[in-house]
Amino acid sequence: MILTGLLLALEMSGQDDHRVVDQSLVRGLQRKDPAAMAGLYDRFGRIAYSVILSIVRDGAVAEDLVQETFLRAWNRAHTFDAERAAIGPWLLAIARNRAIDHVRSASARMGKNAFELDAHEHPSLFVDMERDVFNSDHARLIRKAIAKLSENQRQVIHLAYYEGLSQSEMADRMGQPLGTVKSWVRGALKLLREEIGEAMAV
Amino acid sequence: MTCEELRDEYGTYALGIAEDPERGEIAEHLARNCSDCVLGVRKAMAMVTAMSGMETSVEPPRDLRGRVIGMVERGRVEQRAKRSFMGFVLPWAACAALAAALLVVVIPSRRPSPDTAKLAQALAILNDPDAKQVTFGETARPSRGKVFVSGAKGVLFIGASLPALAPGKKFEMWVIPAKGNPVPAGTFGREADATAVYLRPGPVQGDAAAMAVTVEPEGGSPQPTTTPFLVMKL
Repeated sequence: MILTGLLLALEMSGQDDHRVVDQSLVRGLQRKDPAAMAGLYDRFGRIAYSVILSIVRDGAVAEDLVQETFLRAWNRAHTFDAERAAIGPWLLAIARNRAIDHVRSASARMGKNAFELDAHEHPSLFVDMERDVFNSDHARLIRKAIAKLSENQRQVIHLAYYEGLSQSEMADRMGQPLGTVKSWVRGALKLLREEIGEAMAV
Repeated sequence: MTCEELRDEYGTYALGIAEDPERGEIAEHLARNCSDCVLGVRKAMAMVTAMSGMETSVEPPRDLRGRVIGMVERGRVEQRAKRSFMGFVLPWAACAALAAALLVVVIPSRRPSPDTAKLAQALAILNDPDAKQVTFGETARPSRGKVFVSGAKGVLFIGASLPALAPGKKFEMWVIPAKGNPVPAGTFGREADATAVYLRPGPVQGDAAAMAVTVEPEGGSPQPTTTPFLVMKL
């Protein structure tokens, strides 16, 4: 019985609750069971909606993109390794990619800087990743780390995460040499990695 | 380019803002399963995931859940319609037989399996931020496990090394309010391996101060008739 196996496994082995629950959700998606879709939404719907809304800034568009995100996960779940890969981070990557794709099309930036967002959704990139990287403790950590960035570093991280601007596009937008922008981006990512890396094993 | 040269670009790659030639080079290293690059990009992807916490999360509209689930349930309905259409072109007797078969086979298959429906209910309890949880049996008691109590969503009990039940007996769960008598919260049995998972969906009556489990006659009792072998203070 799924539930007995699932819950006893998580309880008696002392493992992270979410890992076993997530594995079960992936297996349900692979069996095309709508109840697994409900479980996936209950677990990640809020965070997926929040990420998308923070990028597209339009509730109606965000709702459409949330639907697109979950449908994509449903259709691609068979490529996923339930035992090792982390479904939450994967779903969020899909969510962010859908949102970035949308803002890029809206601003007609799909030309030379477009890249295959799909490559960033490959399940192999989520293998052995901590599943709970977006819990509230980590959210506090990331906000604290962001507060330590310089104004320019914060701006490039904002342009990268929320607008998906390439470094050349940032240089144009900010009226700064590409080399300068690249050093801000590199410095910002290094600081974020140092600040949150240990806590999140990233 | 070497992995060493690409290392500084893992973060931009994970953010989706790397540019050629680095972007193409990293993609190539990943495609041939270069272990350094796979590990580096994976760590960077985890950091990008964590960046979702930069802004406070927002509650989505209530009806969005139904729309998300509806997409995949609709898919099944369409499949069913397709099969019905195939039946329509057959002679009427065969069509009637097919329709009868669809009623028996397809309609039940549309429903989620009992296990996954239970799983969804269990998840609702586990995911309720207001749910209380108690671990029992960490010290001397032989029975061990955990109980989750969500005032709005229900109770989930997981136990192991539970005592044997005599024929005609069941475990009965009780909600113990701060004041007043215990409130029955359903009966459940035990698996052959002395484990039990008991799920009681729906609002929990009264302000639960503790949960308890007793052994009662199969049909349950309105009030406990034996001493609880488990009392879990919330």
